[in-house]
Amino acid sequence: MEFVNPEGLRLDGRRPMEMRQLRAEIGVVSKADGSAVFEMGNTKVIAAVYGPREVQNRSQQSNDQALVRCEYSMANFSTGDRMRKPKGDRRSTEISMVIRQTMEACILTHLMPRSQIDIFVQVLQADGGTRSACINAATLALADAGIPMTDIVTSCSAGFLNGTPLLDLNYVEDSAGGPDVTVGILPKLDKVTLLQMDSKLQMETFETVMQLATEGCKAVASYIREVLLENTKQLESRRGV
Amino acid sequence: MLQSKSFVKKTKQGKVLKVVREHYLRDDIYCGAPFCKVCDVAAARLDSNASTIIIVDTNVVLHQIDLLENPAVDNVVVLSIVLEEVKNKNLAVYNRLRALCSNTLRRFFVFSNEYHKDTYVKIEPGESPNDRNDRAIRVATQWYQHHIGAAARVLLVTNDRDNKRKAIEGGIPAETVESYAKSLGQPALLDLIVQAPAEDVTMEDAEDLRPSKRKTIYAEHKPMSEITSGMHRGIYHQGKLRVNRYNPFEAYVGSESIGDEIIIYGRTNMNRAFDGDIVAVELLPQDCWKEEKSLAIANDEDDEDDDVHLAPSSADDAPRVSHPSQISIGNKSDMPTRPSGRVIGIIKRNWHTYCGSLEPMPMPAGDGGIAHALFVSKDRRVPKIRIQTRQLGNLLDKRIIVAVDSWDRLSRYPSGHYVRTIGEIGDRDTESEVVLIENDIDARPFSSQVLACLPPLPWSVSAEDIANPIRQDLRHIRVFSVDPPGCRDIDDALHCTFLPSGHFEVGVHIADVTNFLHSGTPLDDEASQRGTSVYLVERRIDMLPKPLTEDICSLRADVERLTFSVIWEMTPEAEIISTRYTKAIVKSCAALSYVEAQARMDDSRMADPLTTDLRNLNKLAKIMRQKRIERGALTLASAEVKFQIDTETHDPLDIGMYQIREANQMIEEFMLAANISVAKKILEHFPPTSLLRRHPTPTNDMLEPLIQTAASVGLSLDVTSSKALADSLDRAVGDDPFFNKLIRILATRCMSQAVYFCSGDLSPPEFYHYGLAAPVYTHFTSPIRRYADVIVHRLLAASLGICRLPDIFQDRPRLTGIADNLNYRHRNAQMASRGSVELHTLIYFRKRPTYTEARILKIRANGFIVFVPKYGIEGPVYLTSRGQKGGGEWIIDEQQQKIKKTNGEVSYGVLQPVRIHMEVVESQPNRPKLELTLVC
Amino acid sequence: MKEREEENFVTPGDILGKALELKPGYGAYFSSHDKTIYASLTGFRSITPAPIDSEDQRATVEVKGHKAHGPVPEPGVVVTARVTNVMAKMASADIVCVGPKSVKEKFTGIIRQQDVRATEIDKVEMHSSFRPGDIVKALVLSLGDARAYYLSTAKNELGVVSAKSAAGATMVPLSWTEMQCPLTGQTEQRKVAKIDAV
Repeated sequence: MEFVNPEGLRLDGRRPMEMRQLRAEIGVVSKADGSAVFEMGNTKVIAAVYGPREVQNRSQQSNDQALVRCEYSMANFSTGDRMRKPKGDRRSTEISMVIRQTMEACILTHLMPRSQIDIFVQVLQADGGTRSACINAATLALADAGIPMTDIVTSCSAGFLNGTPLLDLNYVEDSAGGPDVTVGILPKLDKVTLLQMDSKLQMETFETVMQLATEGCKAVASYIREVLLENTKQLESRRGV
Repeated sequence: MLQSKSFVKKTKQGKVLKVVREHYLRDDIYCGAPFCKVCDVAAARLDSNASTIIIVDTNVVLHQIDLLENPAVDNVVVLSIVLEEVKNKNLAVYNRLRALCSNTLRRFFVFSNEYHKDTYVKIEPGESPNDRNDRAIRVATQWYQHHIGAAARVLLVTNDRDNKRKAIEGGIPAETVESYAKSLGQPALLDLIVQAPAEDVTMEDAEDLRPSKRKTIYAEHKPMSEITSGMHRGIYHQGKLRVNRYNPFEAYVGSESIGDEIIIYGRTNMNRAFDGDIVAVELLPQDCWKEEKSLAIANDEDDEDDDVHLAPSSADDAPRVSHPSQISIGNKSDMPTRPSGRVIGIIKRNWHTYCGSLEPMPMPAGDGGIAHALFVSKDRRVPKIRIQTRQLGNLLDKRIIVAVDSWDRLSRYPSGHYVRTIGEIGDRDTESEVVLIENDIDARPFSSQVLACLPPLPWSVSAEDIANPIRQDLRHIRVFSVDPPGCRDIDDALHCTFLPSGHFEVGVHIADVTNFLHSGTPLDDEASQRGTSVYLVERRIDMLPKPLTEDICSLRADVERLTFSVIWEMTPEAEIISTRYTKAIVKSCAALSYVEAQARMDDSRMADPLTTDLRNLNKLAKIMRQKRIERGALTLASAEVKFQIDTETHDPLDIGMYQIREANQMIEEFMLAANISVAKKILEHFPPTSLLRRHPTPTNDMLEPLIQTAASVGLSLDVTSSKALADSLDRAVGDDPFFNKLIRILATRCMSQAVYFCSGDLSPPEFYHYGLAAPVYTHFTSPIRRYADVIVHRLLAASLGICRLPDIFQDRPRLTGIADNLNYRHRNAQMASRGSVELHTLIYFRKRPTYTEARILKIRANGFIVFVPKYGIEGPVYLTSRGQKGGGEWIIDEQQQKIKKTNGEVSYGVLQPVRIHMEVVESQPNRPKLELTLVC
Repeated sequence: MKEREEENFVTPGDILGKALELKPGYGAYFSSHDKTIYASLTGFRSITPAPIDSEDQRATVEVKGHKAHGPVPEPGVVVTARVTNVMAKMASADIVCVGPKSVKEKFTGIIRQQDVRATEIDKVEMHSSFRPGDIVKALVLSLGDARAYYLSTAKNELGVVSAKSAAGATMVPLSWTEMQCPLTGQTEQRKVAKIDAV
């Protein structure tokens, strides 16, 4: 199947190095300490952060740092066919663990001993790149909750089809069976916190694709920064400062 | 600008799915006209002084692709919506359109109207997708008009009346294809235009001019929905139609649902289906099931009859024989029946272009007008095609190419149109070209891009090559090659050194083609497409350019060359102790022919080191051969024929059977051993992505005819294993010196072809090569003339860590596709070779009617099929004159496979020698045929 | 104004300055491998110069302006709490406000018998000091144990600020030990806070 036609356009009209449209909103769940909705094209994800608060399970409490918990689930209606089991299946458990490890790496947990931070992420619409959208949404929610972090974490995916590296695969391109590289970085510190890939790639090609995904992450980072600025200004104006 | 496309789709299982997709609109899509002041003209393709730019409709592309390919049509803008619709409807036409667009000589530009913000059209509620697409085409044309302005005229070409009307109403100039073609002023173009099927009804039958005779000849095809529901219910069956090459009125549809093949007899039952179409078949009621009719050589109303042809070398080439199955007790009829059916619908058409010539007919009165003619294809499986042409007189004696357009119910023959002329009938070059076209062989000279990939000449081994650590310097070893006389592309050489330990070091050195042929270059793409070199009688169509094949890679004598070598250490009993693979540099000391090598070995006076090596190799080869035979390898006889060509006229001077000497067998043995060693090595390193070769074990069904024929002469063959069969064949000796050879030839016809495959597609037991009794086998030893060997070279180099494996090997479906293409090309090359040999046989016998000996292979109701050992030809001999139905004064004895005269005087049985006369007759003008007649 | 805001707007990971010149405050952290101060919260950067007499003359950089967390009781801060339970030796209360700001989530505090008042601390009767439902002002003594903060009302201005009588009316303070119900005229015993009349 032709994923990049000879005119250089993909199935949805993007060029290979272009990302889908990004949209984010902060503070959507009023009860949570921090929350955000993040959209990448048709993939829509909502994240809510509670904490730092008292540890519910005393046995897991740590004396010198905060406990970070994460739960990822997909809504039944998020994919084309109604899903039977949105939580608890292997994929959800794996992604929960991945997000938890990614966020834990950047939260300054030693500032909040004996407390716990809960991150809940739910996919409302899945169209490829849900993992990345979840991490971006979690970052926004954590920033909204005022939890101290070393840097924001942004994530983006890239693939390799028809001999061309493609940025930000949607569901159709993802299902093509080609390689899918997901990268999560700390943009200002220029460090990689998440690197996942399925399928196989030659080493040189892999370098190119990962480079492309990293650039996508940086683009997401500048968008997230803008959103946070907007939001903070709004809060300031509401408080009358 | 993000739009959202949502539509509802039905999956194959029948589920209804809503699909929502993003659709981005862009502002960086350019119009492609170099004189445009607004757009970026870097990618412009249209002519700078074009007066008219035409935009084509989807149907125009689908039906009139031949017209578009003609160089007279230029400055065409193809909209992306048109491209997509064509892709969905007909992939072959889409590929041709894409080729046109990427061809730098033609001025075709693809405009992505679907993604341009000004020309995107959103579907309105209640609008059908077709209407929406037509509207998109009109909007895009209008945009072009405004954009180009006065610089050129923009014209919409469409045959759809509605679309044309709406366009003109909207201020867009629009024309039909015919009027546009007329405006170009080239009358020959009008021939290429396809008439719409509706007009077919008014065309008269080329033979029958009486309108009252026009009746419904064929049943209507059932609509797709009825076919699908019928298949679900089990009353209709789907399968691919295969027309019997030797009897075009008989066809088979392999159906999984029945488990057997359904026979379709007669034109009416075939209901306009072509060979290769996917059809839906309905079984006839059981009492209509025809008996074994193929006992008679086809002589139906249309007098298509058996031709003299080369003896087939495998079951794929042999005429299909429906063998009589076991007669069960209680079965009333004498003849067993097989399921018969008729075609009730065509699921997928397999129409393409066909080579052939027009049926002779008197010139119509008056000239310059349109004449209707019948085109007869060279491929017997295709029915005659009716075409119209203005150049009838010109075409009558030419070989032409015709494409099929439609086949109406009321028309006896399908309608098509003329595409191009090849040359005069009977002209040897034209006929050769026909053979090539029929077999999809590209004989064009290599393009300059391809030739640019060659290293500069004169080439010799450089200091770099010598210094390369991966390459072993074997120039000191006595390496030599043995090949057919006059061979200039030498791809293999051997050496045999006697080691102090008493063992032999034997090396097979193969030309290191992959050193010059790199993956992804135009040269590699071209070679991959060609797949193999094609050997015709008078010339060879190379897979790689001559400088590579005959000079740079060829292991000629007394020059240093690069090789990829397999070196064994083996005992004098031919036990392999160790194997190693390496790239090397060798210097061949002699390039012998088979005759020379044989003479040296036989001449006991010669004792020079080279001859000693030859004799050692021969000894080893004999032991290896014996071991193979013990394992069950088959020695099949091929009826290969060799021509001696006159160097000036290129006419055949003499024709004879190919002689196999010991020297041939010796080389063959080592090549086989090398192939097997390499196969094992690459499979070990790349279990899912190795390219191997297998030979499927013949099933009992396939061996039936052989067992029957042997039984009729009192010979019983054990076919339980390949070894048992080989032993039985060895024991099959009779008074007749050709007997054994004949039986072997019959055995060969039962085998299927060996094929290439990707190792990840099958399980290890299926890797088996029946003919060679080898658990795993591949092709390694001829990279100069076979692309499969090039791939195996790359795999071997990667397994040794010398080179990186190219990307395609990661992709199993692509590798399977490549293997399929190689099999296709291989088959085609074989068919082309045979076609060329048949052609030259005809030319040879044209001036030399001959009397010769022959053997009967098969008995028929009205004669028998004979095999002529001297010339390797097979053909029918009629005992009753044509037109006489049934056997006349001859009756046939099934059990004993004999045909006898009613008065019991004379009888002929299978494998019986007879004397025949061969000569070329032209019963129809421009249709020479070789005819065999019995001499009493 | 707006430009200054945008310049000073930081997100986690933004560089705030070098460790040689600045000290990390609230919302900033120090990274040892490159000796720089980075932001850890989203907000606006603000620099407060160091007090003149301190050793370390570096200014403190903080990130403010984000929706702050609810205040947390610190030792030495006066909190407002609602008494939930009164037992023989102690009373437990839910801390509602810390200083002038209300908390985001409740904290638990306990007032021990010895912390109710400054004098005669062993003769304190818990039931005569507090009743469930009273609003008290207390001082946070310490973070206490795992369950609750330790509070003290042993000052004049600390103690019951508002209470409801048995009849249900808000009582009027009479002295530092008594309050009277306006409806029934009955007096009840509490440890009352002395609120300065403005």
